Amino acid sequence: MSEEGKRESALKRFGRSAKEFLYGMAGHDMTRFALKTRGSMEHLFILITMGDLLGIPILPPYYSLRLLPYVVPQISTWKRRMLRERDLTDALA
Amino acid sequence: MSLAQVFKEHPNRRYIEFGGKGGLGKTTFSAATAYWLAKQGYKVLVFSVDPQASLSDIFEQDIFGKGAVEIIPGLFAQEIDADRHIREYQEEIRQKIRDMYGLDEIPEEIEHYIQAAAAEPAMEESAIFDAVVDIVVGGEYDYYIYDLVPLGHALYYLSMASIYDEWIGKITALREEMQEYAQVAAILERKKETEEDQILAELQDIKQRINTSSSILTDREKTAFFFVVTPEEMIILDTLKAAKLFAKYQVPISGYIVNRVIPPELAQQDIPEYLRHRIEMQKKYLKQIDETFGGEVLVRVPEFERDITGLEMISKVADALFGGEA
Repeated sequence: MSEEGKRESALKRFGRSAKEFLYGMAGHDMTRFALKTRGSMEHLFILITMGDLLGIPILPPYYSLRLLPYVVPQISTWKRRMLRERDLTDALA
Repeated sequence: MSLAQVFKEHPNRRYIEFGGKGGLGKTTFSAATAYWLAKQGYKVLVFSVDPQASLSDIFEQDIFGKGAVEIIPGLFAQEIDADRHIREYQEEIRQKIRDMYGLDEIPEEIEHYIQAAAAEPAMEESAIFDAVVDIVVGGEYDYYIYDLVPLGHALYYLSMASIYDEWIGKITALREEMQEYAQVAAILERKKETEEDQILAELQDIKQRINTSSSILTDREKTAFFFVVTPEEMIILDTLKAAKLFAKYQVPISGYIVNRVIPPELAQQDIPEYLRHRIEMQKKYLKQIDETFGGEVLVRVPEFERDITGLEMISKVADALFGGEA
């Protein structure tokens, strides 16, 4: 019984390792890409709602104020990204 | 058809708007209509969307920024204090930021943004627009009477709903797409649930508010829009132009009211030449009004012997508007 239990858990362990291996091979990059796209879109979103923070006038500031609290933590990284100088290496990233 | 008939035949039209060039009597008619409806036992709110509102003047009572003030039983009047609304709104945003991140003070650049946003030219109109949404969504009254701003501005106000709607539609779509990416990542990482996107929830709430307000303004069943004109050439021409523009925004125009008509009986009396000329001139333009707007002209309201302030005069105007019918 305990032998069998051990075997089963070894099998499980193997299964899990295989899953993680496969995820690392195929899934991880996709996840990274999805999150990266999500991140870029987040910055685009802040630009079109809070553009005023960079001096780009945007349409109705009244309702964008309502969104402000949710983006407070992202503001500084967003500004840095928007205002940083670009060079050739950006194309490779 | 008379104005009183329009009200009787369409009891579902609970949102009443008077539009027209500045100084033609929009506020007067808003107040008089509210008075007439209240006298018939309805609960009525007349409110101003004009930053330079004059309801206080016509009711001879300071109601600015005091919420809905009861003038006579059933008749409530409200002038929105846009500045205060903006200040309270800013403070609400600040408090939310403090609560969400456990801060004692708002980060400097965020504070700057909050202050700068309030200085935007569209801010005042937006604040009034938003306050009006609160008022009409409340549904406490039988009738809501909008004392609108003069024509050009009113158009801007009405178009604001569609501009907002488009803006919100676009950013909501972007937000939804972002949510999809977050979900893909979550599935790949085998997380059970994605975090709820609070921004998306907020956007949907804003969208719903704007839709409610704009659907009321353009709903033929619920809303009646009356144009105020006077027998003068320029007014007629401008009203024609405006009516076309308003029709574009699906504003349900329910009729025209002619104001400032010098009582034609005066011509029988011994009156100075000056007045006789004015009566002649008005006669010509009244004919033109009838030809242009045809059966949509509901009532002619005379020029009164004194200006309209105070309840006594308002009641006189109400009699002229609704033919003294109860």
